[in-house]
Amino acid sequence: MFIGISAYNHESAVSLVDKEGNLIDYCKEESLSRIKGDRSFPRRSIDRILKNNNIQAINIERIIFYEKPLSAYLIPLKIASMYIPQSNSFIIHQLRNFNKASISCFIDLAKYFPGNEQKLSYIDHHLAHTLTALTYSNIQKNICSIVVDGFGDRSTASISYIKDMHNIKEIWSSEYPHSLGLFYSAITDFLGFNINEGEYKVMGLSAYGNKDSRYAKIIGKLINWDDCSNKIKLDLEYFSFYKSIIDSYSKNLIYLLGEPRNPFKPLLPKDDDFQKYADIARGAQDITIKILIKIFEHAYKITNSNIFLFSGGVALNSASLDSLAKLDFVEEIIVPPSPGDSGAAIGTGMYGYLQSTNNKTNITTPSLYPSKYSASEQSDQIEKLLSNKFRLITMNKEESLLITSKLIQKGEIIGTIISNSETGPRALGNRSLICNGLNKESVERLNTVIKNRSPFRPTAPAMKLGIAKKYYCLEDALITSYYSMTATCMCKENSISRDFPVTHVDGSARIQIVKEGSILDQLLDLMSPKGIEILANSSINLSGDPTCFDLIDGIMVCSLSPLEYLLTDLGLYQKIIK
Amino acid sequence: MQKNNILNVLHETLLAEHGSALEMLAACKKSKKATHVFGYFEHAKDEYIHTKAFRELLSKRTRLLSSSIARKYRFNSLGLIKKGYVARQGFLIETMKVKDFIAYVYTNELLAKESFNKILMLIESFPEDCQVITDIMNDELRHHGLAKEHFLRYYPSLQPWQLRLYKFRETINNKTRKLYHKNLKFLEKIFLPLYSIFSVVISILFNYLNLHQFNRLDSNLMDISPKSML
Ligand SMILES: [Fe+2]
Ligand SMILES: [Fe+2]
Ligand SMILES: [Fe+2]
Repeated sequence: MFIGISAYNHESAVSLVDKEGNLIDYCKEESLSRIKGDRSFPRRSIDRILKNNNIQAINIERIIFYEKPLSAYLIPLKIASMYIPQSNSFIIHQLRNFNKASISCFIDLAKYFPGNEQKLSYIDHHLAHTLTALTYSNIQKNICSIVVDGFGDRSTASISYIKDMHNIKEIWSSEYPHSLGLFYSAITDFLGFNINEGEYKVMGLSAYGNKDSRYAKIIGKLINWDDCSNKIKLDLEYFSFYKSIIDSYSKNLIYLLGEPRNPFKPLLPKDDDFQKYADIARGAQDITIKILIKIFEHAYKITNSNIFLFSGGVALNSASLDSLAKLDFVEEIIVPPSPGDSGAAIGTGMYGYLQSTNNKTNITTPSLYPSKYSASEQSDQIEKLLSNKFRLITMNKEESLLITSKLIQKGEIIGTIISNSETGPRALGNRSLICNGLNKESVERLNTVIKNRSPFRPTAPAMKLGIAKKYYCLEDALITSYYSMTATCMCKENSISRDFPVTHVDGSARIQIVKEGSILDQLLDLMSPKGIEILANSSINLSGDPTCFDLIDGIMVCSLSPLEYLLTDLGLYQKIIK
Repeated sequence: MQKNNILNVLHETLLAEHGSALEMLAACKKSKKATHVFGYFEHAKDEYIHTKAFRELLSKRTRLLSSSIARKYRFNSLGLIKKGYVARQGFLIETMKVKDFIAYVYTNELLAKESFNKILMLIESFPEDCQVITDIMNDELRHHGLAKEHFLRYYPSLQPWQLRLYKFRETINNKTRKLYHKNLKFLEKIFLPLYSIFSVVISILFNYLNLHQFNRLDSNLMDISPKSML
């Protein structure tokens, strides 16, 4: 058995891979600690995974960490040292927080799982991303991998050629601090959203922006692709992340764009400054797509491959994929369900498997729901909680689904906590809030009353492949991405789908094509004859909290919000309103 | 000054309330007994409601400020660990004996109520907000009572004076914590010039670090030594 760890920079996660290259279990630390974006050493996740799968730590052959910690530590220090004295506090902070950086993985492992620290090895960070994407790809030879993130352990973007699983050669890279990911994060910060959390909001907001506006044009000049050197060039004058621990952008950006947005002020389309901030978001989104196109073109030029793996935090930018798929040389783009750093724990675990053998290369595509859980593990514990707060409608599985489908038809919203959980960040039915996707009032209630989301962020629609083809312009190159909700697409021209409440203001939608046999698929089977072919689907959580993991989390959401129904492994429940 | 003080207090209390919500949720999930699970759940739920109330009190005030000031009070869950509201070593229930955990809850609820008195004084000119705080104070008193009840039921041999001892110990702990942070800030000021010199020295040393050493161009990434940290 092999354990892959991702930690210290973004949400920590752990994967368990067996000797045959199967992903056995996966767990994000935030799911257990309930601290959104928890980046601490994932000891709860390791513990859970070992216990869940009846594994003694001694049977773990190797533990792999998802980056080269010394490079990840030294490179930002080296760059900061070039900006003394402005970078003084940055350097002091780095030096003093040595023990909180990824270098301490060895120490933490020794502390919490003594004796296992000797099994620790390290993998190149972008290789971890590449192997994650490769795990989800049907073709595993002679393809190109593109990784774009904030900063890994050496570079901020890279292109590799995968001859086979044991021969992955890096052929291009972009060096820190010239980073597309950190540029997008700095704009996220300027717009008043939290870094590593609010990037989705910027993407949603950009749909309201005008691409020809003054602000969009200004933003478009801050980062570019240099055609002579084939490199990403960030205008460092306007950013501070490489020399400051507090500020991601510099005073120059404020001179250029005016006041950054006050994070506490609601952002509503009718407000005075809404357009300005939407235009800034639009500029950031457009230039991101433009640079990604340049990277893809360059990748094609140097690898001649038509099939691309695409991962790293920037691959979470689902709105950019549609434009990339339209490039005439692109045949297929494979984006893993969780392309960011937490998902990279999966490729990291796979590395252990690949290193253990030189001939076996049969990695099996993991399930979209790899985090093992069953409500039966908590059923005794929560007996009183359930009986006190809920009325059991039915324990029978078929009946649960049937009644759920009827409730949805009536306009109700249903929360689901069903068996294994998704990789994240998208909920695909097992940890979801669902309602009729064409019922405007239900979708609005789900979005604003239950989730307390900003009204400019759309809710995603889930449907069967046939229905998706009827209403949306699907890209063949992205078919697998639609199953994990990693890509957006546009409504067909003059289609009624433009007016669906799950369609964004610009006519785009982040659709989910439901997998056969999945819970959403079964519900759609029951509802299609009644004319409901599209469900609205959002993750089940309260605003600012991680997606629910277990039934207690689900009960908490019901207790703190107007959500009334919970569909679980134990049956369908209705909240008792006192 | 006074205004910044209110904002600071509200921001810190918001984190503290969120921290207790998570502590209680962790205790809820760790308990095997259905009645305890229920009790901790209800407590966690209250703490989540307090968190939300403080978030609203804070946003009401920061919404109108210049963004450069307001940004300092932005809520980020990672602050819970960074500022010590959830210990790096884990939740209390993961690191303490159950008995000590309940004693901790017992004393802290009482201390929380006392610190809310101070908040009330800070915002006395806003009657609506005072009502919110008063409601929270009542909740905390109720939590305190429940913890006490629990304590006496499950640890009947304990005498009231022992509970008072727990409270005394926790008060001292809180005071030392505050003193420690104050001293730390003071020491930082003293050491700043030293740190600055140190960082200049480091940056000179870093001039000798050649980034090309990190270049992996044209190399097979699968062949890099897995034991190397570079
Ligand atoms: Fe990354
Ligand atoms: Fe509280
Ligand atoms: Fe309390």
